[in-house]
Amino acid sequence: MIEALMESAYIKSLPFLWEGLQVTIAITALGLLFGTIIGAMAGLGKLSKSKIIRGIWTVYVEIIRGTPILAQALFIYFGISEDLIGINLDAFTTGVIAIAINAGAYIAEIVRGAVYSIDKGQHEAGRSLGLSKRQTMRYIIWPQAFKRMIPPLGNQFVISLKDTSILSVIAVHDLVYKGKQYYNATVEVFETLVMVCLLYLCITIPLAIILRRLERKLDV
Amino acid sequence: MYNMISVKDLHKYFGDLEVLKGIDAEIKEQEVVCVIGPSGSGKSTFLRCLNLLEEVTYGSVTIDGEELTDRNTNINELRTKVGMVFQHFNLFPHKSVLENITLAPQKVKGLSAQEARDVALPLLDKVGLSDKADAYPQSLSGGQKQRVAIARALAMSPKVMLFDEPTSALDPELVGDVLQVMKDLAQEGMTMVVVTHEMGFAKEVGDRVIFMDEGIIQEEGDPEQIFDNPQNPRTQSFLSKIL
Repeated sequence: MIEALMESAYIKSLPFLWEGLQVTIAITALGLLFGTIIGAMAGLGKLSKSKIIRGIWTVYVEIIRGTPILAQALFIYFGISEDLIGINLDAFTTGVIAIAINAGAYIAEIVRGAVYSIDKGQHEAGRSLGLSKRQTMRYIIWPQAFKRMIPPLGNQFVISLKDTSILSVIAVHDLVYKGKQYYNATVEVFETLVMVCLLYLCITIPLAIILRRLERKLDV
Repeated sequence: MYNMISVKDLHKYFGDLEVLKGIDAEIKEQEVVCVIGPSGSGKSTFLRCLNLLEEVTYGSVTIDGEELTDRNTNINELRTKVGMVFQHFNLFPHKSVLENITLAPQKVKGLSAQEARDVALPLLDKVGLSDKADAYPQSLSGGQKQRVAIARALAMSPKVMLFDEPTSALDPELVGDVLQVMKDLAQEGMTMVVVTHEMGFAKEVGDRVIFMDEGIIQEEGDPEQIFDNPQNPRTQSFLSKIL
């Protein structure tokens, strides 16, 4: 029986799909790393006193949130030509940039919302003790806001992971792309797509469990 | 005696709304001044102008000889001289009781963790909460929270303490402990400005009572004078409603 299983179309597709999964994970991890940095900057920027800084980040967030990620990825890959920026972006780099810029906009709103949700009295208490604005932010507001960011951030991480599948249209060799290649060659469409979905779930379900534990531990 | 706080022609606007319409007040060292008045009278705003939690639109506020409203004044440094206790406590929920008290002495005054602890523990003892040092605010009652908040403000060794309706958010049975701590503080000679609805406290502990309404000081004087023989019709009307 085990032999039959090992010989089945499901299992046979795995080594091929595994290559795609690695690309998916790499793009997600790098994209979210940069996306979180961009998002933190944009989120805090949107809370700035300066109208100009606030305006710049608001335009960024609204453009990204108002357009589909597919259009964004195509734009970065095909729309921004080599003559324009002087370097030729490969598909993988494009993918990382697209995920980072896209996730950044959503993370910006998460950061802004969490900071904004902290009671004004916390800021006043800090300032009344003589802490500077920066110190109040660092020691009082940020630690509390960070806890509140974890559930929506986890959500965004899962969304960004799934969004990477869109990058298959610019020939990023991710899990979906590899799946398509495999069933085009073998005609085992159903079996291959079942395995593709299972591989996504192998990441998203543990991620959800870890996040729920973290939430409980931090008592959010 | 020395004027600890001196307020001259203080005006405060929120947009087009004039909330304070010219306040002049002087508060002497070691004096306990209670500010009473109906809600919306501007008494909390007045108090919050004394440590610049509200920006002053016009006029001047001087604390311990330093002008708060001068642009060259280091406001963070001056705020360490003015402790503030809020109606809703505003304890830091992510920090233990001890950490609530030691944070500012460490970060603002540069004390070591041990030095800050040595400051905090006697203060916790003073407010009767030595056993709560490692507790978190959410596990405390309202009265306990407010006493921690008082200890937190005292840890900066302020010269003035401002209280913004410190007992208004408390269950009636918890008010007494907080008032007792404030009373002890007054007896030790702390300069205090207390916005309050506790007329008993104002009568017993206050050296002077200020009655505010419609953004100005309508009447001020000894507690006996204000409570037993108010001159201003507004004061009379206000007191008749609450006493």
